Amino acid sequence: MSSIEPFNRLVKLVARAFYDDITTKGDNQPKSGRSDNRGIAVVVLDALTRRQWVREEDLAKDLKLHSKQLRRTLRFLEEEKLVARDHRKETAKGAKIYSAAVAATADGQPFAKEGEEKIKLHTHSYCSLDYAQIYDVVRYRIHRMRKKLKDELECKNTVQEYICPNCQRRYNALDALRLVSLEDDSFHCENCNGELVAESDKLAAQEGGDGDDNARRRRREKLKDLLQKLEVHLKPLMEQINRVKDLDVPEFGTLQAWEARASAAGRAANGDSSSNDPNKSSQGYGGTPMPFLGDTKVEVAFSGAEGKQVDVKSETDSTPQKVLPPWMIKQGMNLTKEQRGEVKQESKMDGSSATGGLSDDKKSTVEDDKTSLQDEYIRAYYAALLKKQQELDEAAKNQQESSNTPISDGLSGASSNRQVGMKSKREEVEGDDDVDWEEAPVAGTTSESFKVHDLNVEAEASAEDEDDIDWEEGFLELQSRVILGGGLLFAMGLTGCVLLLQTRHE
Amino acid sequence: MFFHIVLERNMQLHPRHFGRNLREHIISKLMKDVEGTCSGRHGFVVAITSVENIGKGLIRDGTGFVTFPVKYQCVVFRPFKGEILEAVVSMVNKMGFFAEAGPVQIFVSNHLIPDDMEFQSGDMPNYTTSDGSVKIQKDSEVRLKIIGTRVDATEIDKNISQSRPKWDPAGSHPSRFFCIGTIKDDFLGVINDPTTI
Repeated sequence: MSSIEPFNRLVKLVARAFYDDITTKGDNQPKSGRSDNRGIAVVVLDALTRRQWVREEDLAKDLKLHSKQLRRTLRFLEEEKLVARDHRKETAKGAKIYSAAVAATADGQPFAKEGEEKIKLHTHSYCSLDYAQIYDVVRYRIHRMRKKLKDELECKNTVQEYICPNCQRRYNALDALRLVSLEDDSFHCENCNGELVAESDKLAAQEGGDGDDNARRRRREKLKDLLQKLEVHLKPLMEQINRVKDLDVPEFGTLQAWEARASAAGRAANGDSSSNDPNKSSQGYGGTPMPFLGDTKVEVAFSGAEGKQVDVKSETDSTPQKVLPPWMIKQGMNLTKEQRGEVKQESKMDGSSATGGLSDDKKSTVEDDKTSLQDEYIRAYYAALLKKQQELDEAAKNQQESSNTPISDGLSGASSNRQVGMKSKREEVEGDDDVDWEEAPVAGTTSESFKVHDLNVEAEASAEDEDDIDWEEGFLELQSRVILGGGLLFAMGLTGCVLLLQTRHE
Repeated sequence: MFFHIVLERNMQLHPRHFGRNLREHIISKLMKDVEGTCSGRHGFVVAITSVENIGKGLIRDGTGFVTFPVKYQCVVFRPFKGEILEAVVSMVNKMGFFAEAGPVQIFVSNHLIPDDMEFQSGDMPNYTTSDGSVKIQKDSEVRLKIIGTRVDATEIDKNISQSRPKWDPAGSHPSRFFCIGTIKDDFLGVINDPTTI
């Protein structure tokens, strides 16, 4: 935390410059000597520079303040955009996570909260400094101050205001047309017909300036003086702002993020050494309810990814004979996609085993959006296309290579079996795919590919007619083939692209 | 600032005008109705330059009046904040002075008049520099900068109703822009003194 130091200095300067005489009491309350709590904002801000996220109760205890008073101050500071706050309902457990996080940050705050336990749900408030915002707010504030003074000084772009001394009604120069009276050359109140006086600027209002030269000059002097004083007094602050300008702003993030990070760091540290830490970390883990929600989500994602990877590995293990360097990358892509498709398929298979058929597919897709439905449709389309092409390829291969015949037989068998046994067919299809992807590039001479393209066009037409049927029957295998669709694009070339676009448009 | 824009308006015409001169009647009525009016959005309509298109008339039930949608090009004048205008001083008092730039009234309050100019009351109230070389009085021409504009509330109403089809003739309230200006800046101030001419 080396970069935090200049920011802390900035906060301290700001606190002393702008919040020195802030009382959290309302103005209507009389300020007795005892209830005068000016400077409390400075104390609180200073305390916050030594902490990160802190529970407000703890802060109150540390500062020996009443928590109500502290909360009022913090609310004020929140309105001033200096402090970020977070409120949440939590059990003692949740509080403990926070304590663990605090312990993990180990920034010199001795928190011995482990013992205190409450069973009830309590709303706890936390606060921390929002350095990025503080930086912006302070710059804006100074800019506004300067601008106001300068505008006053040069009387630039200010709309003159007028005030009726009798009824305190205010007008501005835009009302001038209504205010002129015929009998004399001054403005008169619409209400009481009193003579209006120009409210010379707000800063030197006491002089009652009716605009005579002397008053104006005095006002200018005063303003100039004020501006000069401002520059002098804010110089250290400005310097600090300039120093901080290029530094990274320390960012604690939200309370949850900070806790997660802090406790993670703590755990990491625990891994290396320390005997008493494990129980702390275990507590942190045990009391997961709220703050770890986000984290667990992430973990779910990870586990999903891991699972996939494992599956992929097993897949590659099961088919070790496919080691064709030139197509390694393609295959890799293929496999992962295939794998993804298979995962989906399995989840759907569960449904279909219960009732089976199209309705299940629909049921599962209903949960998805329409877009996914369209995707499925496109996939189904592709599956159909692919099948055609495969058949064509097989035919071509049959002509060329006699060794391939059994496999192609298997394929044809599979395609004929489609409606009967889905699972078995799927496996077959997978086998086919593998073979296909091994063979296709070998067999892919230009003349053949041309042929394929042409026939594909035909296939498109026919496939459109059969869409519904394909959708039903091709649905299960299609997932495993979608991928092939991707690969197919290469093979099919431009016509394929056009086809895809067309289907998308539809 | 002046703009040349296309506006649309529904003109109601009495049946007695139907005949050969229908078009001329519509145009002359349009000019009479529109020129010199003001809307908060477009400003003052200075002049109609041409009529683009007169649509099909719609006979109104009960009255026999016919409504024609008319598209016309016109020159409009709208004051903007920050704009520099030349204006003629119309009134001087101790609070400042009023000036007019065409249909626009501008008020320059005394704190937006350079500090070296002082108010001289009398028969011909004026603002004069201490050496008397520059004098602002009635009928002086000044160059000023607009720092604020205001349109009357009735104008805003009319403005809103103009955006949708409106079946009654032009609003009876003549609308006004009112501006406040300053001459306390470089190159602003008196540009032509009536007494020296």
